[in-house]
Amino acid sequence: MKKKLALAPMFVFLCFILVMTALFIITPKTNYSSSEKRYLEDFPETNLNTVTNGEFESGFESFLADHFPLRNMWVGLNAYYNYFIGNNSNDGVYKCSDNYLINKPTGSDNRIKNNISTVTKFKSAVDVPVTVMLAPSTGYVMDEVLPAVHGEYLDDYFFGDIKSELKKNGVGFVDLRSRFKKADSQLYYKTDHHWTTQGAWTAYEELCRSLKIKPAEESDYEVESYDNFYGTTYSTSGFWLTPPDKIEVWNNSNHKPGDIRLTITEGKESKDYDSLYFKNHLDEDDKYPVFIDGNHALETIKNKNVKRGRVLVVKDSFCHSLAPFLADSFRTVTLVDMRYYKNNVSELVKSGKYDRVLVIYGIDNFATDTDLVWLK
Amino acid sequence: MVFSSLIFLFGYLPLVLLVYYIVPRKGRNIFLFFINLLFYGWGEPVLVTLMLVSIVINYIGGYFVEKRKPDKRRMRLPLALTCIADIGILAFFKYTPLICETLNLLPFMNISVPEISLPIGISFYTFQTMSYVIDVYRDDAPVSKSLVNFGTYVALFPQLIAGPIVRYKDVAYQLEHREETLEQFNRGVKLFMVGLGKKVIIANQMGAMWDAMLATTTPNGVLGNWVGIIGYTLQIYFDFSGYSDMACGLGNMLGFEFLKNFNYPYISKSVTEFWRRWHISLSTWFREYVYIPLGGNRKGVPRQIINLLIVWFCTGLWHGASYNFILWGMYYGLILIIEKFVLKKLLDKLPSAISHVYTIFVFIFGWVIFYFDDMGKMGDFIVGLFNFSDGLISADALVILCRYAVLLAVAVLASTPLMTTLYLKLRDKGFMWVLETVFCVVVMVISVAAIVNQSYNPFLYFRF
Repeated sequence: MKKKLALAPMFVFLCFILVMTALFIITPKTNYSSSEKRYLEDFPETNLNTVTNGEFESGFESFLADHFPLRNMWVGLNAYYNYFIGNNSNDGVYKCSDNYLINKPTGSDNRIKNNISTVTKFKSAVDVPVTVMLAPSTGYVMDEVLPAVHGEYLDDYFFGDIKSELKKNGVGFVDLRSRFKKADSQLYYKTDHHWTTQGAWTAYEELCRSLKIKPAEESDYEVESYDNFYGTTYSTSGFWLTPPDKIEVWNNSNHKPGDIRLTITEGKESKDYDSLYFKNHLDEDDKYPVFIDGNHALETIKNKNVKRGRVLVVKDSFCHSLAPFLADSFRTVTLVDMRYYKNNVSELVKSGKYDRVLVIYGIDNFATDTDLVWLK
Repeated sequence: MVFSSLIFLFGYLPLVLLVYYIVPRKGRNIFLFFINLLFYGWGEPVLVTLMLVSIVINYIGGYFVEKRKPDKRRMRLPLALTCIADIGILAFFKYTPLICETLNLLPFMNISVPEISLPIGISFYTFQTMSYVIDVYRDDAPVSKSLVNFGTYVALFPQLIAGPIVRYKDVAYQLEHREETLEQFNRGVKLFMVGLGKKVIIANQMGAMWDAMLATTTPNGVLGNWVGIIGYTLQIYFDFSGYSDMACGLGNMLGFEFLKNFNYPYISKSVTEFWRRWHISLSTWFREYVYIPLGGNRKGVPRQIINLLIVWFCTGLWHGASYNFILWGMYYGLILIIEKFVLKKLLDKLPSAISHVYTIFVFIFGWVIFYFDDMGKMGDFIVGLFNFSDGLISADALVILCRYAVLLAVAVLASTPLMTTLYLKLRDKGFMWVLETVFCVVVMVISVAAIVNQSYNPFLYFRF
């Protein structure tokens, strides 16, 4: 008996590799991973050519990796294992107190200088005021929830440099740092890198103060709250046990049907909508596109309730939840996404007779973005 | 194909084990021969041809050496031709770029450097095939009567791409007469798990720590640099010895017994001892097939020194086609010569703590030379190890150190024989099978999780 029990490691090992192999062979293959938000590898093309040049082999390895049984469970195990041996942020996300998952800091080796000089050059090409507003990183604002040992969030250095460089060139800057630091409501999602709708509102108020215009009243909005929002930091981290966020939609109760028109332009095609909120996305894995339908090259919002103001915003996705508030202060708000919009923006400013340009990004995106250089 | 991959663990290995044990004993070598080619050719099938050529050349070489016995003088021709062919192939595929670059340093030379990709494992299997003809020549091993058996030996997948370098005489008998047992298979599984854990759980993470230290934008400080290079020191040991353990374990699963390749090198109290414990199969190979044939220590001290320098030059060069490897080899050659003729008596008398610290210092410094193929960066790093003007440790480096502190401690502990000693004491206890099984499960689960995680790439671009 004792002799047989001694063979236990062998049996366990053989069972493990054979069962996992069998599971891999028999389980039906899905072609989309909702946690990774990408299409999974197909079975590679099999012929003499692909086999001899190695394409089949590497394709098959990717296929196996993508369709490995219980894949998400393994990823989660790896995340928690690393967390428990003290290696928090193994996959680039800190597991913080109060269920926050926060991206690691952006390093000092980044593209901020290039992007700022793009903006200042752009400023001299248009004759309307340009104002930049950047969302501070979650880790900088929420530093009290970060783990004891963490990389330094360099927002203070970044903002300091950006501010002085913009001032020198006559570009306005809305510094959100102190207002955000002082706030006691939740300005950032716990499982996503974006600011919450409350965060966007706070930024909107600061923006209005800086532009010396009167903001809308917070009490005019009715808040609808939706559960089960899992964002990007959740997907990257593998900390599957983290509870989901709520995602809020703020409806302005003064709006009558037909007041709002949103035009989405992709290439040469345009489509009109009468709402800024796309609630069909709330049933999907990715709920953030509930705001103005997510990423598009060019979007224009017209609000009949507002008398004046034509503003053009060069933005990333932080602006999506902010756009409805902007629409309550400007009659026309045009959003340009430099990742998809490749035409000349300064000509658009002139031809569209815009009287103001805003540049709105999250600081981490602004530090790494390689598409802003197209801003001309 | 590497052992710590999904394709090996959940594709190749189950296939091999299933078929191997279904096939009757007579057919097992033939099966192994072909399945080895699949292992080697996976990803680069063309290179299989090169290995087959090498197998055939050496098989024929061995045949003629045997045929001309016992006339030593006539035996030398096939021996020499085979060795020249082996070294020629190795030199062509591994050293051509280095040779061209070196020749280009001469003012009148201007050769375009050809792009030759290094066939994996060529350094290992070339040394194995050479050991065959030489063993046959010396009557240390019988000539192989079957091309399949010989091919199985050369291409045996467990040790094919990263050693250990198995000498023909050590497995000649096993090739034809091995009898697989359950006990041996079980032992193999346990050893394989030890190796997988060393590689995936420790070595990869120590490597990640070292890479993180190298990637910081501010100087890491003296302590930061030491932590980094200690990480690399641990990475290279756990990576290499883990691979050897997995190889030996897999060998056991197929009924083979290979010799130990690492024996806790980092506890050595002299550099001489270090090299008796580090990559044993390579040192043995160089001793038997280079040092001793050159005359070893039998031809006087000056000749012995020259022989040692030749051996260590070759050892360095074998590790890679780059000058820093030659430098690394010569560095050890010189230290070993100094130890042999001067320091040995002193080291024996010194308290063991001091001789231990001395040895650690030597091998860590060795890894600095081994790592940096850019001499400028090597110099900068060495200065960084002693330059306190950048402070003790930077904030970034401290964060990295804290992240890996637990594993660093585990790695240091695991590089000593402590756990093995404990294990040997408890081995006969009735509950040991429980601990062993739990160990295997834990290593397997953590390793598979880490390997799967490498392929987990959330595509989040469109969210930004």
